[in-house]
Amino acid sequence: MVGKAIVLGIIVLIANCDYFIGKLNICRPIILGVMVGFAMGDLRTGIIMGATLELAFIGAYSIGASIPPDAIVGGVLGVAFSIVGGHGPETALVLALPIASLAIFIRLLCLGVINPLLLHKADQYAESGDVRGVETMHILGGLLIGITGGLVTAIAYVVGGPAVEAFLGVIPGFVQVGLGIATGIMPALGFALLAKLLMTKQLAVFFFLGFLIAAYLNFSMTGIALLGAIIAVILVNIDRKQRISESGTGKGGNSDDDF
Amino acid sequence: MTISNEERKITKADLKKLFWRSCSMDFSWNFERQSSMGYAFAMAPILKKLYPNDADRAVGLKRHLEFFNITSQMGTLPLGISAAMEEENANGKLIDTGSINSVKTALMGPLSAIGDSVFWGTLRLLATSIGTALALKGQILGPILFLLVFNIPAFIVRYLLVGIGYNTGTNFLQKLEKDGTLGDLTYGAAILGLIVIGAMAATMIGIHTPLTIGSGEGAYHVQSMFDGIMNGFLPLCVFGIIYKLLGEKVSPMVIILGIFAFAILTALFGILG
Repeated sequence: MVGKAIVLGIIVLIANCDYFIGKLNICRPIILGVMVGFAMGDLRTGIIMGATLELAFIGAYSIGASIPPDAIVGGVLGVAFSIVGGHGPETALVLALPIASLAIFIRLLCLGVINPLLLHKADQYAESGDVRGVETMHILGGLLIGITGGLVTAIAYVVGGPAVEAFLGVIPGFVQVGLGIATGIMPALGFALLAKLLMTKQLAVFFFLGFLIAAYLNFSMTGIALLGAIIAVILVNIDRKQRISESGTGKGGNSDDDF
Repeated sequence: MTISNEERKITKADLKKLFWRSCSMDFSWNFERQSSMGYAFAMAPILKKLYPNDADRAVGLKRHLEFFNITSQMGTLPLGISAAMEEENANGKLIDTGSINSVKTALMGPLSAIGDSVFWGTLRLLATSIGTALALKGQILGPILFLLVFNIPAFIVRYLLVGIGYNTGTNFLQKLEKDGTLGDLTYGAAILGLIVIGAMAATMIGIHTPLTIGSGEGAYHVQSMFDGIMNGFLPLCVFGIIYKLLGEKVSPMVIILGIFAFAILTALFGILG
């Protein structure tokens, strides 16, 4: 139990180091599921739970200065508790969401209080031209987020296990069915958040195009993605030709990129 | 500013170091100056090389500890430009050192706008759609493809922008904007992204009803009526309602709670299942 807790803590630390190695997205639930599944001895279940959480958290990632719920701590604990208790992906989601919302406070503490303190220390080092000092503050700032997250995860795994089982035990049957239904609906929120990012009046038709291809034709997701890429290239080419013929010189902006 | 007679040059090896260090840009992200320590961290080896004098180096370090934030994968363009400008400055050829930061600041907005939509809007969506479709079936290929589809293009761009930034500076971006390439890129990315979101909405939102009208052999299944209207009718309705709520500025957190309440109620009455 303690051994597993330590491994889970290390997974959280590694996931946070994603921000050190170029945002490879190893901090996403779909990858955390693999790592936790492997650590808990059930890789296949881990992969499926990770994918379920990925869809639920698909809208939760930081763009610019917005801070989403902490999918790392929530995802790792949600998958770990569900595998150990022999529950399904919907349990992983039900546990991951509140844990992620609580864990965000640790992250806010680091980003709002601790890292700014380190930043001021870095300013002092910079004052004397101390490169090593500035570098150390940068690395320390990142590591502290991962270490606190890892510690909280490990402790929560040891302490929280019985409480989680007791909580899951008292949930009535219809609520459990309901949680399964919610798990199916939840991805819609992420898709809607992403669609908001890209949608304009003229482009809405492409959402429906993708929807209908998937709903009526037996295409795999990879097939649709490739088809989508070809459609995008064709339309950009048409757009470009039109623009060049209109202006003669190829100058002028694109009226469709207003988002 | 002390200027020695020998020219201080940035080598290929320095730029390679800049590339690797750019990966840690958001590691110490904070609310005060966001990625500033990451930027200084990436520039540190170059500053060390260009300014052997403590006082000069201090000015350089402080310059790059100013506020900075950018889509991670686009960060190497301003870094490359900063490297070129610091090199000029170290050799006494840069007239206004303030321009180093004003160029950085000017690039943040436009580069993040295109970077966020291309990388975090479309490319990550693409990787997620392909990856989760396989991973939901328990296949390890899913997570592997997820990483490859996102990171191969992301790292190629990150790598190329170092050289482009160092060699051509801001001209590159102006040229792309002028000949419409930037607009084309966001336009194409939005088309592809929306097609993929549509496909995901159709296949990955799970909702159906077990309701029947009448009983026994002749029972009429309500779900088959929805299927008769169109495939994926209920998922489309759910998507539409949530999209509309987001448009009315309802917070995602409220929507999540709403989904749970709705799901449990419909389970209680056996409407969905």
